[in-house]
Amino acid sequence: MKNTLIGASLVALTATGAMAQEIGATFSRFDDNWLTVLRTGMVEYAGTIDGLSYQQVDASDDLAKQIDQVKDFVANGVDAIIVNIVDTSAGAAVSAAAGNVPLVYVNREPDNVNELPPTQAFVASNEIESGTLSAFEICKNLRAEGKGNGARGYLMNGQLSNQAAVQRSKDVYDVIGMDMCNFMEIIDEQPANWSRDEAQDLMTNWMSSGEPFDFVLANNDEMAIGAIQAMKAAGMDMADVQVGGVDASQDALVVMAAGDYDVTVFQDSVGQGTGSIDAALKLIAGEDVDSKVYIPFVLVTPDNMNDFLEKN
Amino acid sequence: MADTSHGTGGLTFDNSKRSWPNELNILLALVIIIIVFEIIGQTAPYMRGQSFLFDTKDRFDSIFNEARLQIIILQVAIIGIIALGVTQVIITAGIDLSSGPLVAATAMVAMSFGQTELVNGQPNPKALFGPWAMDLPVMIPVVVGLAFGACIGAINGTFIAYLRIPPFIATLGMFLICRGIALWWSGGNPISFPTEQFAFIGSGMMPVVWFIVLAIIFQIIMSYTVYGKHTYAIGSNEEAARMSGINVKRHKVMVYMIASMLAAFAGIVLSSKASTAQAGMGEFYELFAIAMAVIGGISLQGGRGSIIGTVLGAMVLGVIRSGFTYIKLDGSYQLMAMGCIIIAAVVLDQYRQRNRA
Repeated sequence: MKNTLIGASLVALTATGAMAQEIGATFSRFDDNWLTVLRTGMVEYAGTIDGLSYQQVDASDDLAKQIDQVKDFVANGVDAIIVNIVDTSAGAAVSAAAGNVPLVYVNREPDNVNELPPTQAFVASNEIESGTLSAFEICKNLRAEGKGNGARGYLMNGQLSNQAAVQRSKDVYDVIGMDMCNFMEIIDEQPANWSRDEAQDLMTNWMSSGEPFDFVLANNDEMAIGAIQAMKAAGMDMADVQVGGVDASQDALVVMAAGDYDVTVFQDSVGQGTGSIDAALKLIAGEDVDSKVYIPFVLVTPDNMNDFLEKN
Repeated sequence: MADTSHGTGGLTFDNSKRSWPNELNILLALVIIIIVFEIIGQTAPYMRGQSFLFDTKDRFDSIFNEARLQIIILQVAIIGIIALGVTQVIITAGIDLSSGPLVAATAMVAMSFGQTELVNGQPNPKALFGPWAMDLPVMIPVVVGLAFGACIGAINGTFIAYLRIPPFIATLGMFLICRGIALWWSGGNPISFPTEQFAFIGSGMMPVVWFIVLAIIFQIIMSYTVYGKHTYAIGSNEEAARMSGINVKRHKVMVYMIASMLAAFAGIVLSSKASTAQAGMGEFYELFAIAMAVIGGISLQGGRGSIIGTVLGAMVLGVIRSGFTYIKLDGSYQLMAMGCIIIAAVVLDQYRQRNRA
């Protein structure tokens, strides 16, 4: 892993071949688990393409820094740029910074996605699906358990500044707004900032009130795992609580295999990663590219989890 | 700093301090905050008459809501361990900004030697190294982690004491270096599934046990040993400490090493508690550790403050965090309120100090 990264950056530094194509990519965060799976996959995929030098940089959640990185790439004469945008409402600024250099947005949908110039494209999953799939499956499970007359639970948010977190929480409320699921009631929602240890503490705080609850919905797997660890530490039987998250990370699948985790959603990192590099290469070659490519989310439950063990 | 009320640790006799120790004020503040939460719980209609600290639902044997008492201290125990070291650094009139990222870096380094080979009978999907690094005795990740912390602390201390780099700058640089190390170690991938022994370090209430044991040890060290007295002396008046024969430079390196080892240990406990190590861990921990010390009545000018004060400062933060969740206050307001409380603590403390002088 370390070697591939070092290798990739060495290749990027030393690539001088006349025919070589150069792609620069900027990611909102290097320490995000799912984005790391995406990044790693992209480095690997880029390595299989002859003459392609691929370099990626960390915007560390700073939009101004990301725009400068895009400008840096342009100044360095890269052939295409891939952007995992920090702030989805700043699409116009990032698109302008790239000028005429082909640019592909990956994973996060910029607000100007419908006005992209022909040299730019967007590859991602439709974020609205993820939170909806997870919450709706929990709703169905609760009904199947005979709790359709009333079920109460908690909602754990990711960072409040993050578009995906806001969207996934909104999805939960949209699902609860449906006739079929309006028996679900959120006792409280709080941010645990995507993090497992913060989720442990938050869940323990909630449980200390002694209120009975039937479900926990989290914006991602890490928080769901933290909640599960806290509930198990408090001696709860995980069969009594429905827990839903998003990501289908390796860690989550292990917890699911143990019978503690009920629902997660698979976001196809390989599909998004290879899709964005392919789109960039096509744009470099001057070919037509769909301005919006959606890679579907897939619901993951104990029934089909074995299909995903090798994927994320 | 020239006025004698700053001198403690047995160097000067401070009468006002003997009569009404600063720590009692923090304890008083703690009680007041708890009473405020109790009143909100009893009066706000949506709270349905719940109690903050007392067991109103007959769930426990005692009159207290034991689950709440536990989480109040559990959620600050790990940052509290860092704060024990930060307190010593600030008493020397220094600062350590590198502790949060050091927690993440140590978690990554230690956990990569604390992984288990088989998870539910399957090979560990997050294995970083080969089979040689799997299922090692728990002492190996712990010693590796502490040694890593000691190295970082020695570098911090050397730059500050011998090369005279301001502590703020030296540890700010180390802040970035450690965050970089945490990301580089596994390329941003999480390192998960520890051995049973490693998972025990941070399981259940173990973080609290470590925090309390370490707090007692360092309270004794700071009050009754030469190390403690020299630390206060350097913070009160570095020049005077040097003139009186204290090897100030060597002592400072030692203080920074101890602080970094405590932060490293916090990283080990944290990764064990979460049973994973991730590069993004420990975000803002350095600032919350400083906040604990500040609420606990430490002076950033050095020479004043105590381990007990910091422990109480940690308790204040723990009570506030649990209390906000208890009254179902929105996350964004929680940050604002916490910020106000930190500033208020310092304002009150300064007012008190002025009145005393």
